[in-house]
Parts: sequence; structure tokens; C-alpha cells
Amino acid sequence: MVDSKHKWKAWLYLSPALILLAVFTLYPIVNTIRLAFMEDYGMMKALSGATFEFGFGNFEKVVEYRNFTTCLKNTVLLCVLTVPISTVLALLIAVTLNSIGPLRRFLQTIYFLPYVTNSIAIGMVFAAMFNIVGNVSAEPPLITTAGIINNFLGIFGVEPINWINVGSSYWANITVMVIYIVWNALPFKILILLGGLQSINKQYYDAAKVDGTSRARTLWKITVPLLSPMIAYVVITSFMGGFKEYSSIVGIFGETMGPPGNKGAMNTMVGFIYQSLEGQHQGRASAASLILFAIIMAVTLVNLQVSKKKVHY
Amino acid sequence: MAENKKATVIMHERDIEKTSKLQVVNNVFGTFFRYLFLIIVAVVVLFPFYWMIISSLKTLAEYRLSVPTFWPKQVVWYNYVEAFTAANLGTLFKNTVIVGVVSTILSLVITVLTAFVFARLEFKGKNALFAMLLGTMMIPGELFTITNYETVFRLGWLNTYTVLIVPFLVSVFYVYLLRQSFMQIPDSLYLAAKVDGTSDLKYLWKVMIPLAMPTIISITILKMMGAWNSYMWPNLVARDADMQLITNGLRNAFTEATSGDTNFPVQMAAVALVSIPLFLVFIFFRKYIMKGVSRSGIKG
Amino acid sequence: MKKKLLCVLLIVVMLATTVSLIACNKNSAGEANFVVPEGGYDGSAVTLKFYHTMGANLRAVLDTYIVEFNKIYPNITIEHEQVGSYDDVRTQISTEINVGAQPNIAYCYPDHVALYNVAGAVVQLDNLINSTEEGIGLSDAQKADFIQGYYNEGKQFGDEFMYTMPLSKSTEVLYYNKTFFDEHNLQLPKTWAEMEALCAQIKQIDPDCIPLGYDSEANWFITMCEQYGSPYTSATGDHFLFDNDTNKSFVKMFREWHKKGYVTTQEIYGAYTSGLFIEQVDTNSYMSIGSSAGATHQRPAKDETTGEYPFEVGITTIPQVNASNPKVISQGPSLCIFGKENPQEVVASWLFVKYLTTTVAFQAEFSMVSGYVPVIKSVGEHPAYANFINNADGGANIAALSAKVCLQQEAAYYTSPAFNGSSMARDEVGALMIKCLTENTNDVDALINSAFADAVDECEYNS
Repeated sequence: MVDSKHKWKAWLYLSPALILLAVFTLYPIVNTIRLAFMEDYGMMKALSGATFEFGFGNFEKVVEYRNFTTCLKNTVLLCVLTVPISTVLALLIAVTLNSIGPLRRFLQTIYFLPYVTNSIAIGMVFAAMFNIVGNVSAEPPLITTAGIINNFLGIFGVEPINWINVGSSYWANITVMVIYIVWNALPFKILILLGGLQSINKQYYDAAKVDGTSRARTLWKITVPLLSPMIAYVVITSFMGGFKEYSSIVGIFGETMGPPGNKGAMNTMVGFIYQSLEGQHQGRASAASLILFAIIMAVTLVNLQVSKKKVHY
Repeated sequence: MAENKKATVIMHERDIEKTSKLQVVNNVFGTFFRYLFLIIVAVVVLFPFYWMIISSLKTLAEYRLSVPTFWPKQVVWYNYVEAFTAANLGTLFKNTVIVGVVSTILSLVITVLTAFVFARLEFKGKNALFAMLLGTMMIPGELFTITNYETVFRLGWLNTYTVLIVPFLVSVFYVYLLRQSFMQIPDSLYLAAKVDGTSDLKYLWKVMIPLAMPTIISITILKMMGAWNSYMWPNLVARDADMQLITNGLRNAFTEATSGDTNFPVQMAAVALVSIPLFLVFIFFRKYIMKGVSRSGIKG
Repeated sequence: MKKKLLCVLLIVVMLATTVSLIACNKNSAGEANFVVPEGGYDGSAVTLKFYHTMGANLRAVLDTYIVEFNKIYPNITIEHEQVGSYDDVRTQISTEINVGAQPNIAYCYPDHVALYNVAGAVVQLDNLINSTEEGIGLSDAQKADFIQGYYNEGKQFGDEFMYTMPLSKSTEVLYYNKTFFDEHNLQLPKTWAEMEALCAQIKQIDPDCIPLGYDSEANWFITMCEQYGSPYTSATGDHFLFDNDTNKSFVKMFREWHKKGYVTTQEIYGAYTSGLFIEQVDTNSYMSIGSSAGATHQRPAKDETTGEYPFEVGITTIPQVNASNPKVISQGPSLCIFGKENPQEVVASWLFVKYLTTTVAFQAEFSMVSGYVPVIKSVGEHPAYANFINNADGGANIAALSAKVCLQQEAAYYTSPAFNGSSMARDEVGALMIKCLTENTNDVDALINSAFADAVDECEYNS
């Protein structure tokens, strides 16, 4: 690192970002913290002139929620399952893509397509793929269509699995969510990692080729270390995002955050925050978001410690 | 550091010949599997896009069938006609392009400057400040909406381009990404530039930006797409018909007369109509920029 | 890094405490109990904002009548916009109320009004309705012209005041495959008991079918409460009263129906029940209960070669517990008016609301385009509308047929109490219904008991 002689310059360059962040990010955060400590705060109630006492009531209310542990469990589970899977997969795809000649540009372009695809279309295609149409819970069950995934599995003799419909199991739901989230996360990660790969000097690979180093070894010994800043970035930010999973669940299960008849089975912390906002409990929502903030911060601290040791700049 | 490890490699000619036959076989197999893998991924990625297109070609009745069809029984084009006439696509397109281009450019300038400071310059409290920026990413943003709405209301920004551009210009997400990229550029280059008397900004412009170009392009694409796809905020603060962005206009324009439900086939047609030109622009844009960038890489 | 992060957190907490000490004064949303200014509307120029969810064809109708309205009141400018769905309208307005930027008039459902009313933002209409100022109040004839069930929706907020005016309404009706019914000489079910027998009969004719599809689980539960006369919710006191034995017993009964394959719902089936009704696939249904405004979705697609509908659709009242005391749900948008500093804006808003709800020509045209039914009886004598209804059939003019059935039930409409949390109760009973109908268990009573208790818990926690 180099010491700058003109420290004021650093602040000058930073000023646009800092001013905007202060107004549109820091101020709302401060406001969030304020509301979290105003017991039973509700915006509409406040407008009608109600006053609120200072205290920890909102935090108590959050922890007392009968499905609080469910929300917490789903949040953590989805995060720890999807982040490693999507990162490793994206890395493999990016490296493979970078190693081929013909069709490379074409495939690279294809991988951008999700960005111009409407998000509603993405949710709908998933619903259609996993959805079983029929009276599965009647006796005997009646199935009109088992969905494309079950039809595909049927080729290998697998009985139709109830993925997301009424009466589906917790692990079936989690599986669908993991696939959906990984799928959603891939294009972004491929984009970032590919950008990183393209910055790596070809000489390293030429050296490895001459050396006769195996592909796996090249990947592990050269590519991963050289790409480590980008990998660290992807892992740290996707942990932050992973703990805030919400819209993907709405995409599959709708606002009920669970399969039909099992409302809230897939609910998460952010889902709980939305639910509280919906019920005009802004104070409670703020308290929940601070709890989530504490969790994310703890995980990020660990991540930063690890990356300090492993990342090569 | 991985540098210099492979600096000197001594190989015997015989060894190369022995391994080469094996390598050819390996390569053929390897290449086959690599392509297979990439093509499977491509198909998976393409599926929703395909779904969007076929949905736009279905009749509403077919779209509502309980057994979804994977190719329209009857291909209809009137959804496109309706999409073209129902929403004021001209205005929506213009607004989105203005907001998208201006916010991407401003955002890039701010992101580059900020990332440069965090990657290169040294001052007291830098790490704490950076940690704080990361911290802002950890609070769920859902709670910011109402406070920010109040702020822009007080500033009198409702229904202006300003309100669509300014509040989300800074993304810590991208600052962090670019900082990672900048930090890979060796200090030696910077010191050399200092000795030559090159100013910070000139160095940034002449050395760092070209070297980090792949990342900057990624950020440009992400920011552009973000502007294109943003919905919640514009919907809240820019309701006037002549200020609406494409996603807002499109999502709201196509409801069925009777039930008030969204008419999805028409909506999909509208989205396809506006995303295809966008996609073409990006292919072109990307190629053009990449041409001008030296591909020699950062390290070394 | 760790220490610094902690420092930052501390600083943020300190900042927060400081800010929380600063008193916050917000704009008052306006006076709820509105006093009509002397002389009524003074003719001054006002611009009114109107939020709705109308599609392009309905906006065209509205625009036509705004021109007519401006012939009477040239200085009242109406700016209207479509704000996505009903939920979007609610979210938008509740954010805007926060800074006093709410519109003048909005499409509303009762639970929206209950929410806005927590902040006291909605104007009570009583003083306007009963005003003796020229052109303001409603005459007795005008009041009597409203279909009572619809008009009374405005008063369901737990106090004696009127907050909304009905604009256009719909209900649930039973669509049936008339061709099939005629062929097998089946009788239309008047009661749920007859429905059970009919389902058994249909199952014998076509064992692979699901005789009945019910579109909305929540409507089903709430309608059953109303038909049995058992408590559901209350706008005052204890809100959530639906955990009782009558309700449990009908849920248990429908569970048996479902297990026998008699009935399904949209969520249970995993697709539109109207799709099940109109499709000619392996499994289909012969009856479908859904919104009267969605009649065109309950009509099968024309055969491409013959140009004929594969079967004729019949429409009738939904089954009842007691056929002599029928109850059907009232749905569809009403209008509410928001408080503003300038009383002239409020009076002008009222004039426009009054115009839309009492003008026969507008009501007739709006109804014909939307598929909803008019809220005033005199529309029946409007020539175009009368013609529309007279041409009703189960094919091309199915929307008219459903409107006709809907109009015949004017005495049967009920509305549920509206309070902040009433939509929560609706969501919960819908989920409860699905759970109790489908979940596999050895102890059905235990399942039902716990599902009811959980639903009440959830309602109370979230409201």
C-alpha cells in the first residue's frame, strides 16, 4: 500500500459517494435503529398521534414469535447450502468457458440472457416445471400432470415427487429452493469470475502447459489463487445476500411463503420483516432487521478473517 | 504470491513427445465433456427465456390451461400488437434509456473514484470506513424505502429524473468489486508512475482503468440491467405517465378487463419486445469495448 | 477489522439514540369527521387525483364520463391513474399518507380503508350524504336506488359511520356444464346436502372426474361461516372469532368430500379450477364456483373446425346451508375519499364519487365492459343494459348471463367486518382450509383443533 501525500485528495474523491450514502443509506439505518427501540411502533399509529415508549419490547416480540426459529433455520440453511454450491459451479463454468476456443463468445452471450429475461417469466417457468396438477391429497390421488421434472425422472423409473404442492415435505421444498436460488445466482457469478479470469496473464497457463501440469492441479494451484480476490468477493457478498433470501421464495411459493396449507414453512427473517411491515409493525420489523444484521456481521467477520489469510492480491 | 514459482522450467524433448499422444486422447475427451457441460448449462439458462417467448405467442386461454404446453398449440401474434399499442412504449423507452445511461455513467465515475481511494490511497480511518460501508450492505434494505420516500418528498424530487437516478448511484457492492480488481494491480506500477510525476488521476485513467476493464464492463452491464429491471422504487416515486420507466409501464399496462388479473401473454410480449433490442445493444457494446482493451492481463 | 466494526456499530447506536430524542412531528392526514363548508362546492378550480386498477378499456369508459362530468363542473380536473393491483394501491397510498401526499379518491377494499383509518385519513361520508347544501347530498330516491347489501358495505367498520361508496360489484356463482347436466338429467343443487348427493352421482357417471372446483379457499370458509350464522371476525372487541365448533364441523365435512375426490380448490389442484372445468382432458370437473366477473374464463374454447363451443355453460347461485336464507359474498371495488387541507377538494371529490356511483349511463357502460354488476337498481331500465341482459346465454354472451344471475341475488349479499387485520384473517382461514382438507393424519380432530388454534395465534400476533 502506498501512502498518499495529499490526504485531502482521498476525501475529495470519496465525497460524492459518502454524501449520497449518508443521505440515502446511513440516515435510513439510523431511523431503523430508532424505530427498533420504540415499543410497538407503527407508522399509521404514529400518524394518528400515538406515542411510543423506549425499550426492548420489539426485540422480545420478535423472539417470542412462534415461528421465529423456523424463520431463522430456513435463513441459515438456505444460505449455507446455496453459497458453496453456486460458487463452485460458477467457478467450474467460468474456467471451462475460458478454456475453450470455438463457440466461446456465443456461449458467453447466452449466459447473459437471464439479465434480459423478465423475472416473472423465471418464476413461472419454475412453477411449471415442478408443479403437479391434480388432486394429490384425495384417495386415490389423481394426477393430471406431474410436471416436466417428474416426467424426466420418470424415464429413470422414479415415482413422481411432490416438490412444492399441497402436502409436500420440508426437504422437497428446500431442494427446489436451493436449485432455484443457485440457478438465479449463476449468471452473476459467472460474469464476475469470467471478468477476473480474463485479467489473468496467459503466461501462467503457458508455463503450466509446458510443465505438463494436470488440469485439476492447474485449477487448484494457479487459477484459484490468482482469482482469489474475486472468489472472496463472490463468497462474502453472496453470504450477505444469502441471509436476505426472500423474493426467490415468493417466486416459487407466493406470499404464503410455503406450500399450500403449510403457510410460512419456508419463511425467512426477511420474510418475517415483510410480514411485520404488512401488519403495520414497523418497530418489530426494524428490530428483526437488527437481529439479522448482527448475524450477517458475525458471519462476515469470520469470512474476512479467512480471506485475509487466503486471498492473494 | 504465485509469482515467479514457475519462472524457470526445464523440459526434456523426449518427455514432451511421450506425453503428447496421451494428451491428444485426453484433449479430445476433455473437449467433448467441456462442451457437453457448457451446452447443458446453456440450455438450463435459456429455458426461462424460451418460456418468455412462447408465453408471448399463446392465447390467454391456452396460457391458463392446467397442463402447460411447451409449444403454443396456436401461435398468435396479436399479443405483440396489443403490447405495442396499449403501453406508451416510446415514452417508456426514452425514460428508461435516459435514466439507464445517465445513472450508469455517474455511477461508474463514483465507483471508480471510491474504489481507487480504497485500493490505492492511504489515510487514517480508511479500514474503519470501508468496514462501515460493508456494514451498510448487511441491513435489509426493505426498511429504507419509507425513510427514503420521505427524504425525496421533502427534497421535492417526486416525479423527476433526479429521483430515479440519484438515490441509488452509489453501490457498495460495485465499489467492493472494483476495489478487489484494483488491488491486484502491482504497487510497483504506481510507484513508477509517482517517480515519473504522473498525477493520481492520470495514473488511474491510463493504467488502472484499462487493466481492470473486464470488471468495469461487468459493472456497467450489471448497473444497466439494474436500471432496466428496477421496479419497486420507480413505481413509488415516479408515478406520472410521462416519467414512468419501462418495467412500471409494462407491469401495469396489461390487466384483463374482467378479473383485473395481469394478462401475462401480452406482458411477456411487451417484455420480449423491449429486451431483444437491449440484448443486441449489449452484444455490440461488449465486442466494441473488448476490442480496444489489451488482453495481456494484469499480473506480470 | 473486528474492533473497528464494533466501534462503528457503537457510533451508529449512539447516533440513533440522539435522533430518537428529536421529537418527530408529522403532517396530520386531515380531519376525518368532515364538515361540509357553507354553500357546498364554491366552483373553485381543484385538481383531484384518483388511483384505481382499471385496464385500458375501462379507462376509456372513465375518460368518456369525465368529459360529461366536466360539463357540469368545468373547474374540477380529474387526474386518474392505474396503480397496478389492489395491493399496489394500498401500499402506494399507505406510503403517501406518511407525508400527506395521498390522492383524493381511490379504489378500495374494506381492509384498505381500515388500514388508512388507523391514521384517520379517510373522510366520513355521512355529513356529505346528508348535506342539504345544493347538489351535495343524496336524495332519498337516490339512496333507495342502491342495492342495499352493496351500500351497507360502507358502514362495516365497527362504528356507525359511512366511509366508502360502492362502485361496481361481483359475487361468487356456480358455473356448471349444462350439456352434461341435461344429458344425465341432473338437478341443480340448492343446498350443500344436495351438492354432496350430486357429487356422488357424478362420480358414478365419471369416476375419473373431480365434480366440483372451488376457486377461493378463503371465500369458501367465510361464506360457510355466514351461511351457518357462526362467528368469523368482529370489527370491535375480540377480532378473531372463527375458532368454534360449527366452523370445525363444516371443515371436517369438506375434508371427507375432498378425500372422496368430490371437490378441489385452486391451491390444492395446483392450477386454475376454471381450467379444470373447461378443459377436455382426462380429468375434468362439471361444476366450478368462482367470481361472477370472471365468467369468460369459465367458458370453453371454441372448436376450431366447427366454430361451436364444446359444451354450454349454465350459471346459478352457489349452494346454501339454508336455501330460504341465502348468503353470497360481495366483492369488487368501492371508492373512498381522503382528507385534505382544502375542504373544497373534499367536496369536489365527493361530487365525482357521487357522479360515478349514481349516474345510470356510466354504471351501465362500466358494467358491460367490466363484467361486474352495477350498484344501482335503475340501471336495469337502461335500454342498452336491458338489451345486454336479455341476450344472456351460456356461450358468446356468458358475461351477461353471470351478471343476470348476480343481479337476481341482491338480497343475499353479505360483507365481513373490516378492521386492521381483517385481510390477515382471510389469509389464515384460506390456509387453514387447505391444511385441514388435505393433510394426512390418523387423528383428524386433533389436526383440525391445532390448525384452528394456530391460525388464531398467527392472526393475533400479526395484527
